[in-house]
Amino acid sequence: MLTQLVTILIIVAVVGCILYGRRLIRTEKVDAVFGNPERAKGGTHWVIVGTSAILMLWLYYSWDIAKGFYPKSANELCQVAKINESLLGLKYQFPIEEREFKSTSIIKIENKNLKKIANEINGSSDLNDQQKTILVSYINRTSELIPFLTSEELMEMETKIKIKEMTEEIKLLSLNFQKKDYPFETDAEKNERQKLIDEQGGWGITTIDSGTGTIENTIEIPTAPQTNKGLKFHAAAAELKLINDQFFKLRNHNPQFKNTIKQLKDDIKAYRKNLDDNQEIASDYAKNIVKIARRIEFASIYPPNALNEMQAAIIEFDELQNKEQAGLRLIDILLFPAGTIVASGPTCSEQGSGRWLPKPSDTFNKFILMSKPSVGYKNIPLLWIEMVDVSKMIGFILPDWIADILPGEYPVHTKDGIVKENFKSNVLKVVTGDFKLFKVPVPYGHIWDSFLRVFLGLVFGILIGVPLGLFMGLNRFAKGFFDPLIELYRPVPPLAWAPLIISVLGIDNTGKIFLLFMVSLSIMIISARAGASGTQLSKIHAAHSLGATKKQILRYVIFPNSLPEILTGIRVAVGMCWGTLVAAEFLAGTTGIGFVENVAKKYFQYEVIWITIFIMGLLGLLFDISLRKIIDKTIPWRGKG
Amino acid sequence: MKKILSFILGSILALNLSISVANSAAKEVRVAYFLEWPSPNLEDMQKKNFAKALGVPVKWTNFTNGGAMTDAMLAGDIDISYSQGLVPFINAVKSNAPIKLVDIAMEYGMGGTTCVTSNASGITKANATELEGKKVAVPLGTMAEYVFDESMKVVGADRGKMDIIQMDPEEGAAALVSGDVVMACLFGGNSIKAATAVGSRLLTVDEARAAGILGIDITSVTDKFMKENPGMLRTFIEVTHEANARYKAGKADLNSMAKASEMKVADMKDTLSGFKFLTPEETKQSMTSGNLDGFLKGMGTPGGSVDTSFLPL
Repeated sequence: MLTQLVTILIIVAVVGCILYGRRLIRTEKVDAVFGNPERAKGGTHWVIVGTSAILMLWLYYSWDIAKGFYPKSANELCQVAKINESLLGLKYQFPIEEREFKSTSIIKIENKNLKKIANEINGSSDLNDQQKTILVSYINRTSELIPFLTSEELMEMETKIKIKEMTEEIKLLSLNFQKKDYPFETDAEKNERQKLIDEQGGWGITTIDSGTGTIENTIEIPTAPQTNKGLKFHAAAAELKLINDQFFKLRNHNPQFKNTIKQLKDDIKAYRKNLDDNQEIASDYAKNIVKIARRIEFASIYPPNALNEMQAAIIEFDELQNKEQAGLRLIDILLFPAGTIVASGPTCSEQGSGRWLPKPSDTFNKFILMSKPSVGYKNIPLLWIEMVDVSKMIGFILPDWIADILPGEYPVHTKDGIVKENFKSNVLKVVTGDFKLFKVPVPYGHIWDSFLRVFLGLVFGILIGVPLGLFMGLNRFAKGFFDPLIELYRPVPPLAWAPLIISVLGIDNTGKIFLLFMVSLSIMIISARAGASGTQLSKIHAAHSLGATKKQILRYVIFPNSLPEILTGIRVAVGMCWGTLVAAEFLAGTTGIGFVENVAKKYFQYEVIWITIFIMGLLGLLFDISLRKIIDKTIPWRGKG
Repeated sequence: MKKILSFILGSILALNLSISVANSAAKEVRVAYFLEWPSPNLEDMQKKNFAKALGVPVKWTNFTNGGAMTDAMLAGDIDISYSQGLVPFINAVKSNAPIKLVDIAMEYGMGGTTCVTSNASGITKANATELEGKKVAVPLGTMAEYVFDESMKVVGADRGKMDIIQMDPEEGAAALVSGDVVMACLFGGNSIKAATAVGSRLLTVDEARAAGILGIDITSVTDKFMKENPGMLRTFIEVTHEANARYKAGKADLNSMAKASEMKVADMKDTLSGFKFLTPEETKQSMTSGNLDGFLKGMGTPGGSVDTSFLPL
């Protein structure tokens, strides 16, 4: 329902905005020439078109539009897929979708293999002439097996009758399939089916077990036929499957063939038995010849025209079922782009873009579910607030050794089993946060953890990188001393450090933050240095002649001058940090967006993967927008000098 | 404007038509397998016997975990996965991947997949409840997670109270060595070796066997390949069982197997000693009513994902 509405809204919006845009061009008087930035100003309507296009692509390729407008199409296509599945085994025997008969291609391949093995034997220096003659004779006998199978005269009456029977069955099915009330369902059957339909629910994620809070994949496509059309295909598929199984078991073995191959196998077996250990090569060749003979035995090889009628019957049925699909076929082609519904045994599934691109509606539902703090992901909410006592923070900040260096001893329990606190133990309680104060809300959860890691990595990078960069831009010693170090580590992709991080810094936040710090540090140094060395000399001279001290020049001339570079550096660093964060959280973790994505991948939870991607995109955007605001506030002169 | 529109329409059309049509004629068979996970049929792989038996070239690609095998099968790059873990297979089937289980590669005790607690933590089977509230490294979605779950049931510790960290075996071993985690569940000879250097197995191989903790690796195949080349699939499984029989009879070429699995012969023998290769009859029994069946049902696997018709009985 919502999907339909959104789809229509999008189409209306896109058409409306394009019309508006065209009218605007006609009516607006633009004096600006090409190249003037004025021409690029405004254009909210194009923003709408752009976002709508993305959303539309998503709706379309995730097959959500198909689900919105034709909710039963998946179920019907599932029945069609069942027919295709049943037909596959029959069809591939014939040049319907292949270029040649299966029999033809098998004969071609095996003849080639026999020739190859014959050449190898003749050219082999490890075999004596006697062995060669024997082996070649086996090869010849193997290739003589094929005519026994392809000869029309030798074909058993029984086999012919069976093929005839199957052909008739397919023809009867074609006949019945055209009837309106096929498969002649009785009331009892109908009730049975109705019960199944009620049980299975609709297409897509309809049942989410929010009680236990698990985000599990649920049945995608209902398999029991919901419509009469679907029922027709369902019934035909079942019949075809029987025929298919029959045909698969059928072998075109006549007595002559059976005797010859038995004789050949026995001969080779006897021959191999008589060989001793140093004639292993001959034995191997003999074994491979038997393998080819057995392949010929198991392959469905028939005389050239024996299956003509059957082929015609299959093609006829195939055409019929294509005709019967009618509008469904169009829906399949138009609304199920880049893939379709595929049947696999008793179940049906989406294969193609619908598989890895979850429907916006499903994704949205799952996101809502995951946002609930009681559900979250792996028992941790995405973003929630926890009441934490202030004492815990004090305990975290104050180092524990404060208590240790105080004079005196920690209390020892008395005879009565009572522990009496003294000053030293009370101090220990304070520095470890073991007391009660008031509680404040503190955010926690996957999103918060990821955010905090990026933020801390960035802050440390700025705190160390900016002063160092400025120093390097202004001082010969600093430049010379740090340059080789920085330049050596800067080009190393941050992830190259990752394998070391676990061993050195462990799996906790320290390692991840350090990795992000490494990323931001080099960027901050480079940008601060470029900013400092790019200061116009005239400005420094001016400040100098006005009597400014070194400190003042640094504070009021050089620093503001390098601010644009630094802030741009921060923007770049934020982007890089996000990129590295996911990989860092892939490595080892219990929380974080990257962790969520990594685990979801292991369970093929495509919705969750996309949710994490969106969250990361949005958070990155949020970071960038706030930075742009800061840039506008702090360096309003940028681009105006 | 018209150019842009036609470009967009054109590319949409191209995308829609790009439905995978790969490999319908099976000019070659693409098989996935593991390194450091030896099996008798790797000798046939090394000697190209599969290509001879199947009549078409067989391309073997090694993978590091079963989930990646599934991904490759879905993308149409792999036809048969040999010795895929059962847990990745179940995860894939639960998410409606069109693949089928057609054979059991091997059953194994906890020799190859196990949980190791660090000696420094002092945690053993007896006081395993101390694991609660501590950090443990588990490669989620693999056989090791299953072993972890089952082991916790045996020792009576509550998984929900532990801090479970998703880590691949190599990293889990490193974290155990550095003391970041008190227990790491892992698979693969080299990782277990590294972990047991600073720790010991929570359950010994015998204890695990007694508790019925059992790993099963399987052969899975894409529906498409199964339907289109039933003969080849049958031959593949047949050759594999022939190799197993040869190994049992002591006629296997261990050097060739070791070379194929990139292990030393001694290490390989050690790993192989924990494996049990089933005969076709045992396989069928396991698939229909035995260990495998119980495993699948226990994990809530949707039905219809097992096919015994390709076994060489």
